[in-house]
Amino acid sequence: MITHNAAETQAIAADLARTLHGGEVIALIGDLGAGKTTFVQGLALALGVTDRVKSPTFSVMNEYRVPDRARPGHGVVINSIKRLIHVDLYRLQTDAELSALSLADERRADTILLIEWPNAVSVDLAPDITVTIEHQGEDEREITIATK
Amino acid sequence: MRILAIESSCDETAVAILSGQGDVLTLESSLVRSQIDIHQAYGGVVPEVAAREHLAYLFPMITQALVEAKVSADDLDAIAVTAGPGLAPALRVGVEAAKALAWAWHKPLVPVCHLEGHIYASWLETITPPQFPALALIVSGGHTELVLMRGHGSFERLGETIDDAAGEAFDKVAKMLGLPYPGGPQVEQLAKQGDATAFDFPRAMLDKPNLDFSFAGLKTSVLYKLRANEESLNDAKFRSDIAASFQEAVIDVLIKKTARAIAEYSPKSIILAGGVAANLSLRTNLQALGVTHNVDVHVPPFAYALDNAAMIAVAGYYRALAQNFVSPLTLSANPNLDIV
Ligand SMILES: Nc1ncnc2c1ncn2[C@@H]1O[C@H](COP(=O)(O)OP(=O)(O)OP(=O)(O)O)[C@@H](O)[C@H]1O
Ligand SMILES: [Mg+2]
Repeated sequence: MITHNAAETQAIAADLARTLHGGEVIALIGDLGAGKTTFVQGLALALGVTDRVKSPTFSVMNEYRVPDRARPGHGVVINSIKRLIHVDLYRLQTDAELSALSLADERRADTILLIEWPNAVSVDLAPDITVTIEHQGEDEREITIATK
Repeated sequence: MRILAIESSCDETAVAILSGQGDVLTLESSLVRSQIDIHQAYGGVVPEVAAREHLAYLFPMITQALVEAKVSADDLDAIAVTAGPGLAPALRVGVEAAKALAWAWHKPLVPVCHLEGHIYASWLETITPPQFPALALIVSGGHTELVLMRGHGSFERLGETIDDAAGEAFDKVAKMLGLPYPGGPQVEQLAKQGDATAFDFPRAMLDKPNLDFSFAGLKTSVLYKLRANEESLNDAKFRSDIAASFQEAVIDVLIKKTARAIAEYSPKSIILAGGVAANLSLRTNLQALGVTHNVDVHVPPFAYALDNAAMIAVAGYYRALAQNFVSPLTLSANPNLDIV
């Protein structure tokens, strides 16, 4: 799919949110500025997350609570999802560094785990869904969603 | 009152001892052991390495700080520690050490927010500290925020970045230019020779009435400018012009939003805080803004702009005066700790 602005990318993310049940690991592939964080913002909003989703590049891992009731009008009624964990491995360089994050422990039935730059190190969590975002032009992106 | 402070939220392991009498503060020791060399080799701040190095340095540094301050554990009245925000594995090292010492030495324990610490850096090495209400502009790799400080221990966030932090944008533009980590200072160096009007990069959020920031769009805009001029990527003038125009866009937004906050809240002082406070152009522009609005501007002493424990000691001192203690049994590191 081709999107022409950030809002269109977030709408695709919202569509994906409606198919989630909890327990999914989602890998986000794309260059600097492709729109990985933008995508997560759209997905979080659709799940009803009220906190601001910011770039996790510096903090490496951010956790957000998903409220019991989804936002009215977003059509998502998935109360089984309680948390969203947003990880960014951009600054990690070796597999050993990854172990300190204990990512495998965060994969839970009530959690959606989203990982930016999963290829920076070899994550031993096979993603259930891989979202690839490619630069096509200043505001154009090609988005591919592959499900395992 | 004499405080021992520990900071280990990210790159730096730091220990400080500070004594205070009312508003008279005496810094008796301040040690910072930077891991930046190690991280430079790795190309980033990495939690696992950070945690291991913090642990190796911390206890010898505490011993050294006591020696430098010519005091013993008996002379300490409280222990302050950065409880967050930061990298969880790194934070935990400092917090667990502080808890163990507080328990063993029977000292009250004061948790400090790292951002609050950055603000308090402006209380160091000065006889005229900021006056309240004070407006703090915190700019670092992980944060870009405007905070109103009505008094000691009273903070209100007025605005923050909705995506990337300003320091993060500097580091990512540095990466796009092929510069080594941490790239912010090199971008500033490049910018010195550049023409800041060469490229018209976007100033996001200026049209919004709030005090929030956004730097993701600027990052992407620089990327596209580089992609469109691939043949010039090694041209010195082009690179300096990109750096200067980018830096100008960041500073322009920071200054304009700060000006808006001054108009809204009429602070008596402005405090610049965080690692990007080391940026000379930002300092100069903020000083000029202070002159225009007749507000005094406090820029942290160079040595205390980056992470250190002296600033945590000052924050901890004022919290200890207010008896903001917690039990060593209940304190835990909080990577998402908020300033308020
Ligand atoms: N069609 C689009 N889809 C997504 N983002 C877009 C689009 N067009 C423009 N943008 C802009 O591109 C930028 C994407 O930045 P974002 O921080 O989301 O990227 P990222 O992939 O997370 O980058 P990083 O690798 O630095 O983490 C945003 O400023 C966004 O508004
Ligand atoms: Mg991102």
